[in-house]
Amino acid sequence: MIIDLLAGAVRGGTSIMYAGLGETVSERAGVINLGTEGSMLLGALGGYAVTAHTGNPWLGVLGGAVAGALLSLVHAVLVVSRGANQFASGLTLYFLALGVTALFGVSYVSTQINAFDDVPIPGLSDIPGIGPVLFDHDPLVYIAFFAAPAIWWVLFRTRVGLLVRTAGERSEALGVNGYSVKAVRYWSTIAGGALAGIGGAHISIAYADSWFENMIAGRGFIAVALVIFAMWNPIRIMAGAYLFGAALSLASVLQTAGYAVNQFALAAIPFVLTLIVLAVLGKRTMLAAPDELSRVFDNSRTA
Amino acid sequence: MSQETKGTVDGTAAVAAAIVATAVPAEVPTDRGPRISAGWSTALRWLVAVLAGLILFSAFVLANGADPIAVYSDIWTSTLTQSGQFQQIILRAAPIALAGLAVVVPARAGLVNVGGEGQLIIGGIGAAAAALWLTPLMSPWVVVIAMMLSAMVAGALWAGIAATMRLVVKVNEAVTTMLLNYVALYTMLFLILGPWKDPKALGQSTSVELNDAAKLPVIAGTQIHIGVIIAVIAAIAVWFALTRTTWGFRLSVVGGNGEAARRAGMPVVTLILTALLIGGALAGLAGFVQYAGMEYKLRPTFGLTIGYVAFLASWLSRHKPLPLLVASVVLAAIAVSGNSLQINSGLPAASVNILMGLLLVAVLGWTSPRKATS
Repeated sequence: MIIDLLAGAVRGGTSIMYAGLGETVSERAGVINLGTEGSMLLGALGGYAVTAHTGNPWLGVLGGAVAGALLSLVHAVLVVSRGANQFASGLTLYFLALGVTALFGVSYVSTQINAFDDVPIPGLSDIPGIGPVLFDHDPLVYIAFFAAPAIWWVLFRTRVGLLVRTAGERSEALGVNGYSVKAVRYWSTIAGGALAGIGGAHISIAYADSWFENMIAGRGFIAVALVIFAMWNPIRIMAGAYLFGAALSLASVLQTAGYAVNQFALAAIPFVLTLIVLAVLGKRTMLAAPDELSRVFDNSRTA
Repeated sequence: MSQETKGTVDGTAAVAAAIVATAVPAEVPTDRGPRISAGWSTALRWLVAVLAGLILFSAFVLANGADPIAVYSDIWTSTLTQSGQFQQIILRAAPIALAGLAVVVPARAGLVNVGGEGQLIIGGIGAAAAALWLTPLMSPWVVVIAMMLSAMVAGALWAGIAATMRLVVKVNEAVTTMLLNYVALYTMLFLILGPWKDPKALGQSTSVELNDAAKLPVIAGTQIHIGVIIAVIAAIAVWFALTRTTWGFRLSVVGGNGEAARRAGMPVVTLILTALLIGGALAGLAGFVQYAGMEYKLRPTFGLTIGYVAFLASWLSRHKPLPLLVASVVLAAIAVSGNSLQINSGLPAASVNILMGLLLVAVLGWTSPRKATS
């Protein structure tokens, strides 16, 4: 049962991890995107539709990334170029995505696709305990193992990452050195949306193997919370995503094992946990926030 | 703004910004002339924004193989020309307006309350709890009053969690209120699938239906219940409190510059706390109206998306209580039109979210009188 739970955590946490990593990139550049949920929805439908038409789930992942990126591009235009409020813009785009996916998703509701299969890693998947938890999944789960360290490396060890973080910490320094803050924020937000789109595509073409209206069911908002929980650090995003994944799969695992549990009491756990963590580590957590992001929080323009 | 002064923007953009700046005079003009032209300019921007939204929505409809003109005329005839539908719109608008006021009040103090959704659900739970326990004991009128108070207290306490975290550990309320939305939703689902489950409910689980005598009374000859009047009164009260009282003035000082307010000796902590508590109480009131006036029972979809729509309604009205009433009716009309869209054109009801999203994108991005920094 523990093994089922941990395997479920890895499987269920993967989409949240992609979205959380994307949100980390965009928030590191100073842009908070509540539209992550929308990017995931578009990614789920985009991925599903492309897979349905081409028969190739890898193209589906690409389609999901493009769909997610397109929505975050709108966010970037509104927020970076037009100075719109970040929270209002993100929420607006969530509704836009909800509508667009409802409209175009109808025709895919009962379509069968060539979804990702689980690919057990030869040798490793036979290890008792660790094997089924880590090495008996679809390819996107494996890629996620490397995505978090890779994004950490890019953010903290490369020039591009330095630009992104500077846009989030002290944007005027970019201007002084001849870089455009706007361009950096645009690209970071778009990259964030693409990652969220991949997360959404994971749900539709690897996790649920189907499309239905509003199928992301709040995972994008969880990802936004996760970024704070993880203090804007990709490695902690990875740990946090699996933790949230475990909490999400806890109910079904317990029910399969024959325990009569009210699944909704358990579903609230990740959110309560995040609130408790914020309450306990609140000050420290918010100190870890990129400076320009704190500015968004503290002086959100409300008129 | 800081980006532009640092020379990161090229010349043409600066010129464009200057043109925009001259075309749209400052908000507080000194003489009559600019005010009128500012009004026209704003009206024009709104017109273009709305038209752009409608045209883009047509493109979406067209791309899906439906005839946009038929869709619009269906929406028009079935939504706006039948008095029954019009009443539906008004009924839908009431909780949106109340939950919108829950955004307006904190916004005046510079706070972002994304938690209307959860505060509304908790308000519904508070109302349902009062109904559950008091119906056998008290007269219906007492039950109605108790439900209302219970809902407001519950909503205020829920927002109070976010206020406490903001004041004690400095965690931003936008984050906590959003997380609390999910805790509220799952609390309600826990209740209606567990202790409050109606054993007679068929299909989806719900709580026991509210006693007929305790349902909100309707205005004679219509379906309009007094929740609509409550919403209008609340909007006027909020308008008065924000524009005609010391408290309202101090809130806007805190919202403008918290540090200045602190140095001027204003009780910033109390102001932030009261703004969020009152906001929560208003969203709780929305939950009460939705429960006792519309749905009569808690169900998994109770009040779904009202809080988020209300957040956008508040932005649409630039956080002004009276325009908020108009914005609520507009967004309610779009939501109601989704039903006719589904029936007449066979498109999913949720498609109208596109129209709402596009309108808001246009309004957020292109009707602002000044260019704000992000």
